[in-house]
Amino acid sequence: MKTIRHAILASFSILCLVGCSKPDSTGNAPNGARKITVGVAFETLQTEYWVAGFEAIKTELSKLDIAMVEAVADSDASRQLQQVKGFITRGVDGIILVPKDAKTCIPMIRAANEAQIPIVLFNRPADKTDAISTAIVADNAKLTQETVAYMVDQARKIGSKHKAVVVLGDLGDINAIGRRDGFEAAIKGNENIIEVVSRVPSEWNQEKAQAGVANALQANPDIDFIFTSSDFLFPSITSALKAVGRYKKIGEKGHVILGGFDGDATAYQMLVDGYLDATGVQDVYFEAKSAVQALIDMREGKKLPQLIIDPGFVIHQGNLKESSPRMWGANIKKKG
Amino acid sequence: MKRLYQRLLEFAPLFMFMVVLAFFGAQSSRFLEPRNLVNILVQASSTGIVAVGMTFVLLTAGVDLSVGAIMFVAAAVAGKMALAGLSLPFSLLAMLVVGWLVSAFNALFIARLRVPAFIVTLATLFIGRGLGLWITETRAMNLPDSFLQFGSARFLSVPVPAWLFGMAVVLAHLVLTHTSFGRQIFAVGHDAEMARKAGIRTEMVMAKVYLISGTCAAVAALVTLGQLGAVSPKFGEQKEFAAIAAAVLGGTSLFGGRGNVLPGTLLGAVLIQTIENGLVMTNANPYLYPMITSVVIFVAVFFESLRNRVSRPFSA
Repeated sequence: MKTIRHAILASFSILCLVGCSKPDSTGNAPNGARKITVGVAFETLQTEYWVAGFEAIKTELSKLDIAMVEAVADSDASRQLQQVKGFITRGVDGIILVPKDAKTCIPMIRAANEAQIPIVLFNRPADKTDAISTAIVADNAKLTQETVAYMVDQARKIGSKHKAVVVLGDLGDINAIGRRDGFEAAIKGNENIIEVVSRVPSEWNQEKAQAGVANALQANPDIDFIFTSSDFLFPSITSALKAVGRYKKIGEKGHVILGGFDGDATAYQMLVDGYLDATGVQDVYFEAKSAVQALIDMREGKKLPQLIIDPGFVIHQGNLKESSPRMWGANIKKKG
Repeated sequence: MKRLYQRLLEFAPLFMFMVVLAFFGAQSSRFLEPRNLVNILVQASSTGIVAVGMTFVLLTAGVDLSVGAIMFVAAAVAGKMALAGLSLPFSLLAMLVVGWLVSAFNALFIARLRVPAFIVTLATLFIGRGLGLWITETRAMNLPDSFLQFGSARFLSVPVPAWLFGMAVVLAHLVLTHTSFGRQIFAVGHDAEMARKAGIRTEMVMAKVYLISGTCAAVAALVTLGQLGAVSPKFGEQKEFAAIAAAVLGGTSLFGGRGNVLPGTLLGAVLIQTIENGLVMTNANPYLYPMITSVVIFVAVFFESLRNRVSRPFSA
């Protein structure tokens, strides 16, 4: 019995150790020359957007015959620091990093700077620092402002004053703050059309978003304008709207003007089905291509700006057909 | 005088709940409407059911960190089955089976092989979340409307999630207060070694509480699916902390041997949801949410420590 117990415990320990390590791949070119290797460290792969970004970077690197080693920190900044140090120890030629937040990435950038390894931040910039990096980021505030401005135009066409809800992201996430600021900027000056009756903090949690929107609808049953800081919260919003019989197509009586940010597969389907008015799309393909190009430029000693902006675009019912090939969520949906 | 003080402290969670109700009721005329109160109960159901299972575990001085991961895997499996065209009852059964399998794994290592619960359930948390991501391929799954219909269905005018929560609370209360198994749980939580010497099969008690916790997590996943109609990669994330907070708010000790489901855990789960509901209803500044929730939890735990001190005057 004791032997069996020890055997099970040993297997369990091995299972845990295997579960903690990450697969990686590297190699040499067929002619024996050393192949360039890039370390790609993501904070998480827990949303479709990050997976799409990861795949896009992988594709860009493979187009240039660059080997990739990968690490995912599961939202743990100190683990990510160790992963970046691991990349440095194994001598990678460049690092692409999706940090957890703007501050915890600074020691990682410094470590890469000391090892003279170029480092590019993907989609999340660092706070002000003298450490050297380049970040490829969507202009969250501007893109949100454009999206909400489109929604306000739709409200104006309808004519009556609209009651609005904004579903906020994690208030510690700089991207979420940018989107909140973009929303407020779009509403400013349009108070005669839009009255914001509820600001729901979701912490990027679908359950909290669903409960928050349901509560807002309870307090103000005539809400008819909802913006979410990320498309992945749409199932929560539609569920809350369905519960009170308010999930209606554009043009139907009682339609709630809906807008979002990201451009995921759910948003694409809602656009096609005629429920969603507009969403701001982060151009993940532009961001991946720019990140890889920035690494190459930095290796060649070129000086790059601290920020490379992904302008993104607003997709809505009016430009759905021509813009959907650039929408990453549409491509995911079409691939099935 | 001391007895009155002790009595007041015992009812502290209930007093806090009443104060919260009165405060938000004064701020918003719609807050105390029956429809909103039912709304709060429905929204608290998922966390509440997990917290009921967690109370059993905490009473034995254990902890189950895997409940959120169990919810995710169960929902992912049910989602895949539903999207493959299998009927709702099959998907629901699969969710329960997932809950039993993961919790049986926990029970084996904790009760039989004596590995600390924290380590085992932390491992199953990571394994479960990884497995869920693998099953869903990190994609959101939008499920057929039958799930939402299940979540919004009513029986005797009360929504099904509230019924499930109520049934879990009543059943757990009866088990804890009217069965020998319930008494054994408290005995194991007070002093496992003494309980073993008294003839209690502590291994069996420990195994059962983790199975109960896993079952509750699977049922909670069903309730959440009924409300969201979708599975995202963050499904059930950090539910373990919400469940522990609800149980502790209701007076369950983290060190085992003391606590109750009715009214304790029920109040704990509903109190947290009531605060969040009230903050949205009054259009409060979003930055206030974590601060206000934390203050209420702190005050509740403070009262709890006072109660401990009064009931154990000679302890260190």
